[in-house]
Amino acid sequence: MIKKSILFPVMAALLFTTASCATTGNTNPHEDNDSLESYNRAVFKFNYQVDKYVLKPIAEGYRDITPEAVRNRISNIFLNMKEPLYFINNLLQGNFKYSGISLSRFAINTTLGLGGMFDVAEGWGISRENSRFDQTFAKWCIPDGPFIVLPFLGPSTPRAAVAFAFDMAADPVYWATLNDANVKDKISYTYTALEAISLRAQNIELLNELERGSVDFYSTMRSAYLQNRKNMGCRDDENVQTYDFDFGIEDEDEIFDEMEAE
Amino acid sequence: MKRNIFAIAFAAVLAVTGNVRAEVSAAKAEAFVKDVTNDGIENIINAKISQQEKDARFEKLFNQALDLDFIGKFVLGRAWRTATPQQRKDFIAVYRELNTKTWSKRFDEFKGKSFTFKGTTPSNSANQIFVNSTVAMDQGEPAKVIWRVKQTGDTFKIVDIVIENVSLAIAARNEYAGFIKNNPGGVEALIKNLQNKVKTM
Repeated sequence: MIKKSILFPVMAALLFTTASCATTGNTNPHEDNDSLESYNRAVFKFNYQVDKYVLKPIAEGYRDITPEAVRNRISNIFLNMKEPLYFINNLLQGNFKYSGISLSRFAINTTLGLGGMFDVAEGWGISRENSRFDQTFAKWCIPDGPFIVLPFLGPSTPRAAVAFAFDMAADPVYWATLNDANVKDKISYTYTALEAISLRAQNIELLNELERGSVDFYSTMRSAYLQNRKNMGCRDDENVQTYDFDFGIEDEDEIFDEMEAE
Repeated sequence: MKRNIFAIAFAAVLAVTGNVRAEVSAAKAEAFVKDVTNDGIENIINAKISQQEKDARFEKLFNQALDLDFIGKFVLGRAWRTATPQQRKDFIAVYRELNTKTWSKRFDEFKGKSFTFKGTTPSNSANQIFVNSTVAMDQGEPAKVIWRVKQTGDTFKIVDIVIENVSLAIAARNEYAGFIKNNPGGVEALIKNLQNKVKTM
């Protein structure tokens, strides 16, 4: 079995290489950067099958057998484990006040909130200040690279994938299990799987609706994913609204000419 | 002293020009979206009427509030240019029906919820403005919903809805472009596909 501690740096290095080779020369706001489209569509199809026959049934089953109150407790535990991640990233982005908040939330909810099951801090008016490596990289103006669909993990970009690996590494569960060879894999794989199921259970309706109305689900997902990312903004253009595209019919010919010129 | 008067006069001219340029009335645009959402929540979702009556009311409100001709033209993208007049007509008709039906169903998700309005943001497009709002979710953070509103004379219409930074108009445009690119049947096949979707809804 491949040791996870080795796997992580290798994966990160690989993705960084991809990121540096990636072209980001897409300036047309109406067209997505998708140079890997045929590969992406194939992986998307594969993931879709995995989701349809494995993840979705499990998530639905999980929803059926666990009462909402229990599901909320479990989702709270996962969220609490993310506070150290938020702490680091708020710090890296220079939001010292927010990083203090993340740290105190982790301390309060882990102890008084019984391992994070209850959000005691929220009740005291200390609200979550969510921040991940992806946002930090965006703020640092690291280019995103082309759209890429990863097996099992879904829509991504080289920057998002590297950030995801960093996010995982900042999770206390990863550190706690790193040095104990016997329990390490069991605990952390179960944990990751549970986390994925909990997240999937929250998104069932939303995804069903998106799919039902779409004639090309791949393009819909890609568009939603990339639009959301564009708005993360780098430090220099924080106040630019990416959804404020040119939306006047009289300007339309100009947009088309631009697109055809590419 | 004279300089001060000049400065004030200059500032006044700027202020007036500024007002002239901002053609869209922010307050009216916000009030318009508030009315639409209140109407939808109070008179459709929360009303004690049959599902049939709900659907009928929704269809009316949806078609009054949104400029679906304008949006439809935009989402078909460059294919609009090469489409025949009949294809254009058919596309707009099926796009209107698809959205009315989809949103009629999704609208129920807002049961027991309300929008909190957070002012407006100017747009670079002429006669348009963004009305900002949030809506509480069952789990996690409130969702950010931004309404793109177009003003023509005294009439306001919604031309795009941006949910968590995702513009539905852009998403639809990319979806249809993706379909047309991968289907030899082009616009004709797209219209057929959409018509079949509407039938099974």
